Amino acid sequence: MTRVLVPVAVLERESVSPGLISLLGTVDVTLLGYHVLPEQTPPDQARLQFEERATAALEDLREDFAAAGGEADHRLVFTRDREQTVQRVAAEVDADAFAVTGAVGDVDRLLVSLSGDVDVDRVLSFVERLVGDREVGVTLFLAAGAGSPADAAADAPEGTAPDDADRARLEAAADRLREAGVEATTELAESGSPFDALIDAAAGHDAVVMAERAPSFRSLVFGDEGERVAAASVGPVIVVRDAESDASAAGTRTGREE
Amino acid sequence: MTDEPSGRNLDGDAPVAEAVVETEEATITEDAELERTIGLTGGLAIGIGTMIGAGIFVFPGLAGGEIGTAASASFAVGGLIALLVALPTSELATAMPRSGGGYYFISRGLGTLAGTVIGLSLWLGLVFATAFYLVGLGYYALDALAQVGVTVGVGTDALVSAIAVFAGVAFTVLNVTGTENAAKLQNAIVALLLSMLVAFLGYGLLEAFGFVAVDTPPGQAVDVWEAVPILSVAALVFTSYLGFAQVATVAGEMKDPGRNLPLAMVGSVLIVTVLYVLTIFIATNIFTRDALLSAGETAMVEVGRALLGPAGALVIIVGGLLATMSSANASILSTSRAIYGVSKDALLPRWASRINLRYGTPHVALGMAGGPVIVLAATGQVQLLAEVASFLHLIMYGLMCVALVAIRRDRPEWYDPDFVVPGGPVVPVLGALASFGLIAFMDRLSIAVGVAVIAVTAGWYFYYARDVSLKGAL
Repeated sequence: MTRVLVPVAVLERESVSPGLISLLGTVDVTLLGYHVLPEQTPPDQARLQFEERATAALEDLREDFAAAGGEADHRLVFTRDREQTVQRVAAEVDADAFAVTGAVGDVDRLLVSLSGDVDVDRVLSFVERLVGDREVGVTLFLAAGAGSPADAAADAPEGTAPDDADRARLEAAADRLREAGVEATTELAESGSPFDALIDAAAGHDAVVMAERAPSFRSLVFGDEGERVAAASVGPVIVVRDAESDASAAGTRTGREE
Repeated sequence: MTDEPSGRNLDGDAPVAEAVVETEEATITEDAELERTIGLTGGLAIGIGTMIGAGIFVFPGLAGGEIGTAASASFAVGGLIALLVALPTSELATAMPRSGGGYYFISRGLGTLAGTVIGLSLWLGLVFATAFYLVGLGYYALDALAQVGVTVGVGTDALVSAIAVFAGVAFTVLNVTGTENAAKLQNAIVALLLSMLVAFLGYGLLEAFGFVAVDTPPGQAVDVWEAVPILSVAALVFTSYLGFAQVATVAGEMKDPGRNLPLAMVGSVLIVTVLYVLTIFIATNIFTRDALLSAGETAMVEVGRALLGPAGALVIIVGGLLATMSSANASILSTSRAIYGVSKDALLPRWASRINLRYGTPHVALGMAGGPVIVLAATGQVQLLAEVASFLHLIMYGLMCVALVAIRRDRPEWYDPDFVVPGGPVVPVLGALASFGLIAFMDRLSIAVGVAVIAVTAGWYFYYARDVSLKGAL
């Protein structure tokens, strides 16, 4: 079964918009309530004081998700490092993707980014399961030159026309979705920064689906890419986890008593 | 022997006890998880950052002034005692990787009375240590002012106290309101300090062995290589080693505690011992006793000037400011954890560990740390503050060693440490004897103040928490 992890800073009054809840109605959801603590505060101390109200808030949210369709459960973590917590819990519950919450109403159209060195098959199969038999359209997006690892920046000087390989890749992906009964169009960004092009394209869509990428220098400086897209596009972002990070994280998983 | 703490305090609160599962990445309680986020580097930074502060920058003048080069031996003795305690502490910490550190081990191993005394005197010991660091900071700030041309003729002591009090208020307020994570900054400061010291010591060693010539001021006084003076200086400078046990206060937040806790504690003790001994050796090589004595708390600045000119003095001043600040800040953080550990076990009123939702910080505990610090810092008594801090910590260190022997003998079912001190009871017994023994070499007044603090904490136990039972519980 497909599972999406939804991290929510419950004690910071963060919530999940109704649009995202209904969008995730086709999949199972693990709500990850988290609270990032300043270093002055022993985590156990915060837990004693805030556990009850955080759990109550999570339970309410969980009921909303369960009412929308899928299975839903919740976990609560006190941490100093949000990223580390999201990665650990995602690996433990074997989540296919995690969501970055954002404001949205009903979701009619998704923007699915295939830019970069991503596992297209994994992303598309997730999108198929997410959309299911609902009337949700998909725009497949690819930034030129960011297509595959082979044509890295060195091979494709800036401003070159999008090559046929990129276009073919997009069309193949669209065909696959159409076969699965999902209405799909394509959009190829011909120039400029892939990130800006993605934000521009996101304007006409309700939510963004993208693939997780290996940490880079840029993600160290500016933060996680999914977070940045969510911040710039306002709407929710669903980040499909990398199969590799899945495997490596599962390897270090430690016994958890159920 | 029970597995659960029991009993109630004067307010009718019982100790909080829950079944938890510890993994390498998180502590899992019934409804929530606590992420472990501190790695080995972070643990070493806490240990080294707390220790290296005032000791190395304040004591060379005082210790070298008393016995000359023999002070290196004093620092070596201090390091040896710290190591003898760090090993048993590591075993206890890997068996009980919870926040609270020494207090936690002693209350579980030796019972509530010892636990209350140590829990409260750990808090007060940290308060004394923090005040000492802040006074050291005051001296360095004064020297920094002098360096940029601002000289203060009269009332030096008053000015040092004023700076220390101001810094104490600033740290407390910053810790209550600051939500930025300063841990990364702390790591950077420790790295900077270490590289500065290594460069400085490298040059100093070249000088000591005659590869580089430096004008050493003339002096007549000879070194005092005698056991009693060496040990009494060791008792004074032992404050420089209060810090490795602070790693145990964040045991609940360390990743892979079975490996990282012993490495961080023992590693930080070894690193700072080497640095201390070398620093004292170099300082006492360049200056004789009387010269060091007259330079006082900031003698290291003069050593830096003699070695590398004005640049050397500047490096030492900046280092001294950074080091005393990082020590003070790390100690205030540990204090709030010490108070939390005691309050969770109903030995202090529960409100002492409240957190405000606005900043997410334990404002009451931080206030209970910062308030007395400010009062003590105002006294400006470097030696007294340092020795009382050492006294209270040494009692805890000695009892931790005793607790290890007791817990090993009682063998509660849950006791399964990842790290075991080799050699049976030899190391903990030596550690306990050395810790208690060092106290005998302290100044009379310091011992009196220390004993008074212990008496008050014991009185608090009989008044407030007589019915609470913690021995043997996890």
